Amino acid sequence: MEVTSWTTMKRFVYINDDSCRYSYCGNRISNTKYTFWNFLPKNLWEQFRRFMNQYFLIIACLQLWSHIAPVSPATTWGPLIIIFIVSASKEAWDDYNRYLSDKKANERKVWVVKDGTHRQIKAQEIHVGDIVWLHENDEIPCDLVLIGTSDPQGICYVEMSNLDGETDLKTRFVPSISANLSADQLGKVKGVVECPNPDNDIRRFDANMRLFLPIIDNEACPLTINNTLLQSCYLRHTEWACGVAVYTGNETKSGMSRGTAETKLTAADAMIDKLTIAIFTFQIIVVLLLGYFGNIWKDTQGLKQWYLMYPMEGPWYDFLVIPLRFELLCSIMIPISIKVTLDLAKGVYAKFIDWDEQMFDWETNTPAHSANTAISEDLGQVQYILSDKTGTLTENRMIFKRCCISDTINDGTVSYKAQSQDEEALVNAASNLNMMLISKDNSSAGIYFNGSDFHYELLDILEFTSDRKRMSVVIKDGQTGKILLLSKGADEAILPRASAGQQIQRYLEAVEMYSQLGLRTLCLGWRDLEEDEYKEWSKKFREASCSLHNRESKIAEVCHSLERDLHILGVTAIEDRLQDGVPETIKLLRNAGINVWMLTGDKQNTAIQIGLLCNLITSEPSSQLLSITGKTEEDILRSLERAFIIMKNTCETKDLAFVLDGCALEIILKHSKESFTRLAMLSRTAICCRMTPLQKAQLVAILKSAGYLTLGIGDGGNDVRMIQEANIGVGISGREGLQAARAADYSIGKFKFLRRLILIHGRYSYNRTAFISQYSFYKSLNICFIQILFAFLSGLSGTSLFNSTSLMAYNVFYTSLPVMTIIFDKDISETTVLQHPQILQHSQAGRLLNPITFCGWIGRSLYHALVIFFITICAYADEKSEMQELSMVALSGCIWIQAFVVTMDTNSFTYPQIILIWGNFVAFYMINLILSAIPSLQMYTIMFHLCGQPSYWITMALTVVVGMGPVMAFRYLRDMYRPSAINMLQQIEQSNGSIQAFGGMDSALESVRTNLTDLVTDSRRNSDSNYQPLLSD
Amino acid sequence: MSSSGHAAGTSNGGSADAAAAAGAARRNTRMPKYSKFTQQELPACKPILTPKWVVSVFFIVGVIFVPIGVVSLLAARDVVEIIDRYDEACVPGNMTQNKLAYIQNETISKVCKRNLTVTKHMKQPIFVYYELDNFYQNHRRYVKSRNDAQLRDASKANQTSACEPEKTTANGQPIVPCGLIAWSLFNDTYNFTRGNENLPVDKKDISWKSDREHKFGKDVYPSNFQNGALKGGATLDPKIPLSEQEDLIVWMRTAALPTFRKLYGRIYFDLKENDTITVSLNNNYNTYSFGGKKKLVLSTATWLGGKNDFLGFAYLVVGGLCIFLAFVFTLLYFIKPRKLGDHNYLSWNRHPASR
Repeated sequence: MEVTSWTTMKRFVYINDDSCRYSYCGNRISNTKYTFWNFLPKNLWEQFRRFMNQYFLIIACLQLWSHIAPVSPATTWGPLIIIFIVSASKEAWDDYNRYLSDKKANERKVWVVKDGTHRQIKAQEIHVGDIVWLHENDEIPCDLVLIGTSDPQGICYVEMSNLDGETDLKTRFVPSISANLSADQLGKVKGVVECPNPDNDIRRFDANMRLFLPIIDNEACPLTINNTLLQSCYLRHTEWACGVAVYTGNETKSGMSRGTAETKLTAADAMIDKLTIAIFTFQIIVVLLLGYFGNIWKDTQGLKQWYLMYPMEGPWYDFLVIPLRFELLCSIMIPISIKVTLDLAKGVYAKFIDWDEQMFDWETNTPAHSANTAISEDLGQVQYILSDKTGTLTENRMIFKRCCISDTINDGTVSYKAQSQDEEALVNAASNLNMMLISKDNSSAGIYFNGSDFHYELLDILEFTSDRKRMSVVIKDGQTGKILLLSKGADEAILPRASAGQQIQRYLEAVEMYSQLGLRTLCLGWRDLEEDEYKEWSKKFREASCSLHNRESKIAEVCHSLERDLHILGVTAIEDRLQDGVPETIKLLRNAGINVWMLTGDKQNTAIQIGLLCNLITSEPSSQLLSITGKTEEDILRSLERAFIIMKNTCETKDLAFVLDGCALEIILKHSKESFTRLAMLSRTAICCRMTPLQKAQLVAILKSAGYLTLGIGDGGNDVRMIQEANIGVGISGREGLQAARAADYSIGKFKFLRRLILIHGRYSYNRTAFISQYSFYKSLNICFIQILFAFLSGLSGTSLFNSTSLMAYNVFYTSLPVMTIIFDKDISETTVLQHPQILQHSQAGRLLNPITFCGWIGRSLYHALVIFFITICAYADEKSEMQELSMVALSGCIWIQAFVVTMDTNSFTYPQIILIWGNFVAFYMINLILSAIPSLQMYTIMFHLCGQPSYWITMALTVVVGMGPVMAFRYLRDMYRPSAINMLQQIEQSNGSIQAFGGMDSALESVRTNLTDLVTDSRRNSDSNYQPLLSD
Repeated sequence: MSSSGHAAGTSNGGSADAAAAAGAARRNTRMPKYSKFTQQELPACKPILTPKWVVSVFFIVGVIFVPIGVVSLLAARDVVEIIDRYDEACVPGNMTQNKLAYIQNETISKVCKRNLTVTKHMKQPIFVYYELDNFYQNHRRYVKSRNDAQLRDASKANQTSACEPEKTTANGQPIVPCGLIAWSLFNDTYNFTRGNENLPVDKKDISWKSDREHKFGKDVYPSNFQNGALKGGATLDPKIPLSEQEDLIVWMRTAALPTFRKLYGRIYFDLKENDTITVSLNNNYNTYSFGGKKKLVLSTATWLGGKNDFLGFAYLVVGGLCIFLAFVFTLLYFIKPRKLGDHNYLSWNRHPASR
């Protein structure tokens, strides 16, 4: 047969032939990022691509120039090296584990057949063209084309859960031309496989195989994915199987689909980056100013201070020395430890999610898991949830409910367990009605009905695709020899293909009625085929199946030509029940100000019904559905405009939702993307049906581009693109396999756990990160401001008040540990959060981490620096103004104030917090007393001196009261007279002692609140607009 | 503290079925192991700023601070201090226009007599300080210009790194002690007499014991010190080890502020009110070039230190403010009472129009 098209993307695999052995890569798998030799340079390179690290490296290098270094270079090098070692060892450990698993896979023994002899070699020695001989339960070492199995019918079973997450066994077929070869012949077979270049599509393999003489039938035989055994799958229930290696090593389909996921940056991270840049700018300004005035002081005053011995004429770079000194002095403004601290905290948040008992799904025995440990804060700032329907909101457990055949409407309720949901529901339902499928294999099926067997020969399968929305089979009746086409599919895919003159009205009505009940419908149709017609078609079909180019569309075209003039048999309806807790969860999330959109591949009516059932939309008159439909493009665009106008005018008073389908979306995206984006920003709810996986992802992208934080949740392979596109992807580890859960950042067992994931974990994580990041800047700025103030008393010369040891310990030790305690902090209890989900709007709007709150922290930092500095220099004036002592007094002041700042900002004290905050405080004194006992240090005896002075302790108490008094007074007045919602909830918790006490009253308020919430949250977008740009810009 | 020590609440509704199933499925489950820590259910105490709490804190702080302030102030007031600025007065009348020439001219006698009147009875020991003003011992160039190893260890005399620009003599000999700090050692001297009675100044133990014992070597002797063309301050007797050169040790404890006092010695005599003390001083040290003041200070000391009433005043003011705030908050609470924990304050429980 002719090869239809020649593409350049091709490889020819000569079976059992050494000549082409080395033209492709070997079967050595390597997932490692580094090798032993390139680890250090490559890892350093990776780390230094980050701005922060570059900055600190430059600072550290400048420190080496002792002429300008205010303190020992160790103050920067020490933490920098520690941070580098921590990151590098994490990378190295991960890479080493990858290496070990690669090594294990590469050195596994496999059997190959070479010119008829069986040999055992290492998996990594397999080359393209080798015949690999597999035994039962073997892991498949590379991608193979199956050429023989122990099964006389030429089938074998593979478990592909490693690839697609589906645990059911897949059947694989030996291609027809090698079906009749004996085991001996298989070992000697020669031939060529023509296949595309490696790709990562595990559902497609469009290839041909031709065997050489002495095999007589040397016609090219089409190969599909059903003739392959893919790497990392397992051979099951088959004694042996053998295949030709076509893709090896990292070029296999599983190897190609491995890829490093793009690292996601949370909104909070982006904000921290922005604030860092702001601080950096501030630092440059401060340095330039101090440097300028420092040079002026030097020229006017410094030259007169004879004891400084300033040379009259300095080197050419003299004017740079003082600014550079200040640059080094002020480099501590940007906390070097912030990334490590945040990474650590985020790791703990992720662990809390993994550990959460209340997110454990008993039914499927799956705990929640956060695959991405870095984005927990984003959960607390989610604005849009885009949810799949089937399997996510519903159980994906199909129950055959009704069918409409001819005129009668039958009821039958059967439950079943199955792999392929709808089909098995039908088969089971049929068997309950005494029509049993008793046998089914590759080419035939038997049905037992009313005491007799009927046999059908299965001639062709016209596969289901999401474009065709239907599938058909061509069968031959074993008794009569008649050839039949049987089709099933979506109503719009079947009913228009009905033969002329048939009454399809009643089926349309039945479909309508079933959809109203939230049932999934399927239409069935059939047609007699003439022998000739079938033969002719069958030839075309084979050609299309063999084509290497555009195979899918060619097949679709051929199928299309056959599926016409159908006799409509009837409509079936299958129920897919809502998952437990879905309506409550959606209500809660909507109360929390999150907009929930439903994206489904299902029909509009079914989708709307599910939407009603799960509280996504309410019935008229409190809400209104705006349907965006139309026959022509103009109609659709006009209805979009109309929906937008209604939405704009009434969204304040009514709960509006828009409904659109895939076709409409396609047209809208082509012509009027902007106005759709505007509509999307207004609508709290949307139901999008008939969506393709790509369209789901497109919707996410639209919302993302409008600056919203999106969460995509789904359970099936068709949701993967959406999940990956969204800021946060959540996968339900459900019945459609683990594909979605694997691609997602978080995987949970049930939709209802989303409530805890967002409201509890997300919210707490956001709050905690907001504190940790801002506090990190606060403490760095605090000590930096003191240094700057000291500069004015030291002739603007860039002297460091603090010694190297203190500076290093301050950043790495004294101030890092107490702040970590905030990872245990809960501002309000979980119960309160779930009772008042509206509180999430706080974190959504970024109220706890934005330039305004940050300025508050800077202000506090400056105030505390002033307090510490001036109290210290006033109390330790005159004869007491010894450098080491004064510096230690100022440092102690910082530590005291810091302990109280953390205490004051902690909302709930658990024992780790108390131990860490005050243990750190005690540790500060212990460490400094120990350091004071070492004669060679500058600090020798200083701490002993100070601790013996009453004036030291009196100064500390004064510093704390002056530093914290106004903070406390301000906070009290604010909490009391201008409280935030969080404060109020804290007060409610407090005044009720136990939150349960007012449960009754609360439920009474609930209904009122729900009604109001929608209004409040709708207007939120306007009222909080001053917060929004802070996040999105 | 109005903290209610209740455990962080958990939602019991959702876990009821979970608990029922727990028994059966415990054996073979991937369920995370329960602990209060992993479930974030550690018992927590959640204090909030209630009026009662805040008012009592401010009040108690005030009540503690005021007496401490009074005691500190009394202590500071107990200290008798005589300060005499002599840099201006010791310049001969004909040279007031050219003080720099006066101080730099070695031929002019720098001896100067000052009479001090004791204002109040001073009990021994009386501390003698010199005070310098506008003198930047904390300057980056100055404060680093020393080498501690060299001071401690005789064998490390050659270690003069960081001592720029007073490292070595012109012919490369290391200076001990090197660096600007030592080089600019203060060299004014004071002798006190009361009438005809000599008041000896005890210059022993004016430095820190730890410095004498560990920072300045007993076998380290000054060498090549002040031999350069440019003489800074005092010279050192090369026969006395550094550990006994107490003026140097005191001077090398650099001051953090541009105005500072350093201990010169102690007088172990009581000074009576209206006693006149004659100070005969050698005004050698140059503060004229940068307009710095020089003062001689005689002072007694208390448990709190010298005559510094900052802490006393600060405590009185802060304590007073705290009590004042406590009253203001109490008043505010009665004028504008607000019930804590009222649901109706929550924005979503109010009509949006009222926001």
